[in-house]
Amino acid sequence: MALFDEQLGEVRRVLESMSAGGAARQFAAGARELWDKGSTLVLQEDTALEMGNPSVASLSLLLWSEDGGVEDGRITLVGPDVGEALKSGSLPFAQVVIVDGTFESEYDSYRDIRDAVYDTRLAGLSIRTMPSKRTLWCRVGRDAADKGLSLIDLGAALIDSVKRLEEVGSAEVVFVTSSAEDVRRLTSPAASAQRLVDAMMKMYQEQNFDCETCEYQDVCDTVMDLKKIRSKLTDSQD
Amino acid sequence: MILAVCGKGGVGKTTVSAIAAQALAEKNGLRALVVDADPAGGLGMALGLTPRRTLNDVRKEIIEEVKEGKRDKRDLSVSLDYLIAEALTERGNMAFLSIGRPEDEGCYCKVNVILKDTIEGLAGRFDATVIDAEAGIEQVNRKVISSVDYMLLVSDTSAKAVRVVETIKDVADRMIGNEGAGLVVNRVRDRAEIEGIQSGTALDVIGWVPEDDTIRRFDGEEKSFLELPDCPARAAIRGALVRAGLL
Repeated sequence: MALFDEQLGEVRRVLESMSAGGAARQFAAGARELWDKGSTLVLQEDTALEMGNPSVASLSLLLWSEDGGVEDGRITLVGPDVGEALKSGSLPFAQVVIVDGTFESEYDSYRDIRDAVYDTRLAGLSIRTMPSKRTLWCRVGRDAADKGLSLIDLGAALIDSVKRLEEVGSAEVVFVTSSAEDVRRLTSPAASAQRLVDAMMKMYQEQNFDCETCEYQDVCDTVMDLKKIRSKLTDSQD
Repeated sequence: MILAVCGKGGVGKTTVSAIAAQALAEKNGLRALVVDADPAGGLGMALGLTPRRTLNDVRKEIIEEVKEGKRDKRDLSVSLDYLIAEALTERGNMAFLSIGRPEDEGCYCKVNVILKDTIEGLAGRFDATVIDAEAGIEQVNRKVISSVDYMLLVSDTSAKAVRVVETIKDVADRMIGNEGAGLVVNRVRDRAEIEGIQSGTALDVIGWVPEDDTIRRFDGEEKSFLELPDCPARAAIRGALVRAGLL
């Protein structure tokens, strides 16, 4: 059982229920040319569309599996794309990146994949992330919107970035822009995944295995993979 | 281009900063970052912009994140980028950032260094940055202000205020090595006053700003200097920027 299996299962169930009403559309990452990379500061005045503004629902989530349960290159969009929402000016936003592969060192792999996601920057799109709040705040510049920048471009760029990593075999991305409620439905698996990541980070960074006093003892005791990580680290200290 | 506005307290530094920022932002629609680095925090009011949070609030949040120990350097770096974006108050092509007043105890030098680097990185993404510096020489001394392209020294007609900007220039030459500097003398009553100052200082006097009732009225009514009509003070500050090669 992989580290995020439970959270991935929950995310899949939530997405299935959203898709039941026909709200989800699927695209293939390879179907279009990759958008130019670049880091752009988009001021409010130049913004065509804002997604995940701190005042609306926003969520960023990274999950992995090791059982091949990821449809490689698939981009799922629940809700309107950039070009369909320009009149609204603002959208709630969730971005879920799911990868599959072989992760020998969970900590290193997590950081590699996370950094690849952080480093995915597209010309005309400003992306900001607040890891502790699991939020993502994007601004699409007017020029980029005029040129047709789409969430499919962002999805394709994310998939391209994470798949450059040796340990990643396949990747898919899900965007939810349909409503704040839909975004919030992903909050529970996201919070739970965050606890796992926090526990893992603490283990590696502090190298403290006094489990009786650790705030993540419950997480480690429940998740088999964290138990393995803990044993691996404890053994390496002996 | 980074412009730091420095001088003794009470000489009209904030007014000069606000008018300079507006002039630069209007120049071919340049994107201007305006930083209120004075803990007294009057520039927001002068611009009619109320920040939701200050850089000091950001600093506190980052310190909390560090204390929690759940984030590594990369997470902290992207968090900082997010929080600073949240702290920007935007109006047209101008973005305003207030430093705020550090109140908590303790030395967080590393956090301050990261903050400084982040602001410098942010400034690099704007066409022009105007920093309304803390009164006196302290920020120059501590190298809080670095990578400055031009130092706009502001003084009134008092000898004390002129000596302060001379000291600031001297310290800046040694600590920062900035590219250029010019003196703007504020609240000048007549030409004789400015001639007296010019003959007594080695600083390059690039402009003098007359006493102006419009400025006084805007100040008294707490009106935004961004709404300032053409008036002698506004024209004089813009003229100084032209002479400095900034406009």
